[in-house]
Amino acid sequence: MKKDYILKINHLKKSFGQHEVLKDIDLDIENGEVLTIIGSSGSGKSTLLRCLNLLEEPTSGQIIYQQQNILDPNFDRIQYRAKVGMVFQQFNLFNNLNVLDNCIVAQTTVLKKDRDSAKKAALKQLERVGMAPYVKAKPAQLSGGQKQRVAIARSLAMSPDLILFDEPTSALDPEMVDGILDIMKDLAHTGLTMILVTHEMGFARDVSDHVVFMDNGVIAEKGTAEKIFGEPENPRTQEFLKRYLNRI
Amino acid sequence: MHLRKYLLMLSISILAGILLIFSVFPTEKAAAAKKDDKVFLVGMEANYPPFNWTQQNKKHGAVPIQGSNLYANGYDVQIAKKIAKKLGKRVVVVKTEWDGLLPALTSKKIDAIIAGMTPTPEREKTIDFTKPYYNSKQIIVVNKNSKYAKAKTLSDFKGAKLTAQLSTVQYSLIKQIKGVIKEPAMKDFASMRVALESKTIDGYVAELPEGLSMAVADPNATYVELSGKKGFKLNSTESQEAIGLRKNDPNETKINQILSGISLKTRTKLMHDAVLNQPQATTQGNWFINIWKQYGNMLLRGIGMTLLLSIVGTVVGFIIGLLIGIVRTIPKAKKRPRRYLINFVNWLLSVYIEIFRGTPMIVQAAVFYYGAAQAFNINLDRTTSALIIVSINTGAYLAEIIRGGIISIDQGQFEAASALGMTHFQQMEKIVLPQAVRNSIPAVTNEFIVNIKDTSVLSIISVSELFFTGSTIAGQNFQFFHTYLTISLIYLVLTFTITRIFRMIEKHLDGPKNYDLMTNEFQVDTPKIGSEKEE
Repeated sequence: MKKDYILKINHLKKSFGQHEVLKDIDLDIENGEVLTIIGSSGSGKSTLLRCLNLLEEPTSGQIIYQQQNILDPNFDRIQYRAKVGMVFQQFNLFNNLNVLDNCIVAQTTVLKKDRDSAKKAALKQLERVGMAPYVKAKPAQLSGGQKQRVAIARSLAMSPDLILFDEPTSALDPEMVDGILDIMKDLAHTGLTMILVTHEMGFARDVSDHVVFMDNGVIAEKGTAEKIFGEPENPRTQEFLKRYLNRI
Repeated sequence: MHLRKYLLMLSISILAGILLIFSVFPTEKAAAAKKDDKVFLVGMEANYPPFNWTQQNKKHGAVPIQGSNLYANGYDVQIAKKIAKKLGKRVVVVKTEWDGLLPALTSKKIDAIIAGMTPTPEREKTIDFTKPYYNSKQIIVVNKNSKYAKAKTLSDFKGAKLTAQLSTVQYSLIKQIKGVIKEPAMKDFASMRVALESKTIDGYVAELPEGLSMAVADPNATYVELSGKKGFKLNSTESQEAIGLRKNDPNETKINQILSGISLKTRTKLMHDAVLNQPQATTQGNWFINIWKQYGNMLLRGIGMTLLLSIVGTVVGFIIGLLIGIVRTIPKAKKRPRRYLINFVNWLLSVYIEIFRGTPMIVQAAVFYYGAAQAFNINLDRTTSALIIVSINTGAYLAEIIRGGIISIDQGQFEAASALGMTHFQQMEKIVLPQAVRNSIPAVTNEFIVNIKDTSVLSIISVSELFFTGSTIAGQNFQFFHTYLTISLIYLVLTFTITRIFRMIEKHLDGPKNYDLMTNEFQVDTPKIGSEKEE
């Protein structure tokens, strides 16, 4: 059976000055899969994620989306970004807008939807993440967990093909983490493609279809969640997981 | 969305305020009439009785002051009327600061200076003088009860603190007195009278009419006249007043003829009348109420002009600042020609900011108003010039404030907006600028308050804002301390009110610190969405 890939990454490289952070990354992401990127800090996993929606400009290589290389100067990045959501570690809600407008603003400006249908979509997603009672609140009035729920709703309201999660629970108090992970688990079951960078190994094992272990700018190992967590081949992976799993 | 609503409301109320001010104001049509051939534009301080002063009615043959509904009168005005009559014109006075008289003449803002000006060789380098229209004596104005009131010779002034008006013959005479303490020169007679009244100086050198005038107006003042060998050594021209004209003025011969036709007897009579007719201080009753009763309209117009300048200056300056702030934070372009263009524009903008932040507004105003007329023959009326100067000056400051506001926005805000597919300008409009503007409100308030006070320097181009009005009133009622006290009270009320208004706006924009679920729940119309469990 021919697999349906949403993104194909070929020979991707990224350097900051002399420092090469990503060294020749090849990675294919299937439509509807949950792919988790793990690895120690500085291994390049966040940079890889940020390259995928061009928050970082790759130095060379290709990222193929719908038969087009998104790094092509003529590629319509706006439409691409509208289809690829991003959830940040620091939430990055728009401080000047209330919860509802945070979920509406990109729909009306980027997708050119009228305000009413944008509002409907926003409320639907806010309901889904349990933030409907807070539509009038400003970000400054919310807790970290609440902000992250809104940030997820904001991404979902764009009806994306793919959402990138960049350590979405790392800045949260421990008691907030489970709520966010539950929402993400629900999302995983809807068939949405998700790529996430996380240190929540239990979650990665339970939810991911594939897991990528990155080490020093390269993909050291890739496989199904069972394989990576059950019988990792690469000694670096084994060492990394041993450190993490001991902690749980 | 709140911010936009408030900005809208604010700008509407400001516009309404401006309209109101304009409707109260005598329209600047008078300025438009200045190219009228039938008008003889005469520059004077209108604040130097008995030569010239400002009054509020036409009494004793006063003439209108350009751009206001006030009148000027005095010896100079009467002489000007005699000349204008023979020239077949009518006199309009252009009230100008002493230092502004020469540039006003050379830049054709006025046709002649009749302001009690002495023809000195320095002045004759730039302008022509007619024959004298008044011969005067140099005197020293002192307090009646001071020891200097009985001085007989110049040497009796040993140890006295003396001054005179800036760039006048009188000031250069002070050095003839041995052992005198020469105080810095002062800007106008109003300042010297205040200084004398408050005893910060012991006296000032002036011409006889000023002494006559002060003796009438202020019961505590008198003057010492030292004649012959005991007095100042002077060239014959140094005690004369003449009319200043532009070099090669075709009317010069004619005006000289007219002046010769005015006899000494007529001149003495005119000066005598001027001393009698000059404004007198009202000393009965409460001074504060008196000032408002007598000069209430002038003060209100002064307040109006100050508010107009500071509001328009701050609003337009804010818009300039906002635009520059946006341009200066455009991210580096990838394509080369575009990058060069942006770099060039940025360079131009920083030149603008450096120049206008790095020079005093008083200098900018003088250069702009007189310089533009002299060099390029552009004649802007002074209110317009003042508005332009305040605006671009404020713009230079606010550009940096807003740039700082934009830079200080968390990078995450840009990233989240980019990740959602927003363009640079969408990000700016919807996310970054509202936050940058909100963050810069305290600085804008500051700039507004600075503008209210600092527009007083625009008196250099004779804009009759509050301070200029204050000195005019002080020149009329001789109650310097009381008038300036009133003026400072008004400034304080203005700045305090504005601080409060902006503080309220800030508070409103920020909203409460905590989100109250109970009170907010009912405001939200949450449509029921079918519980779509996609599991």
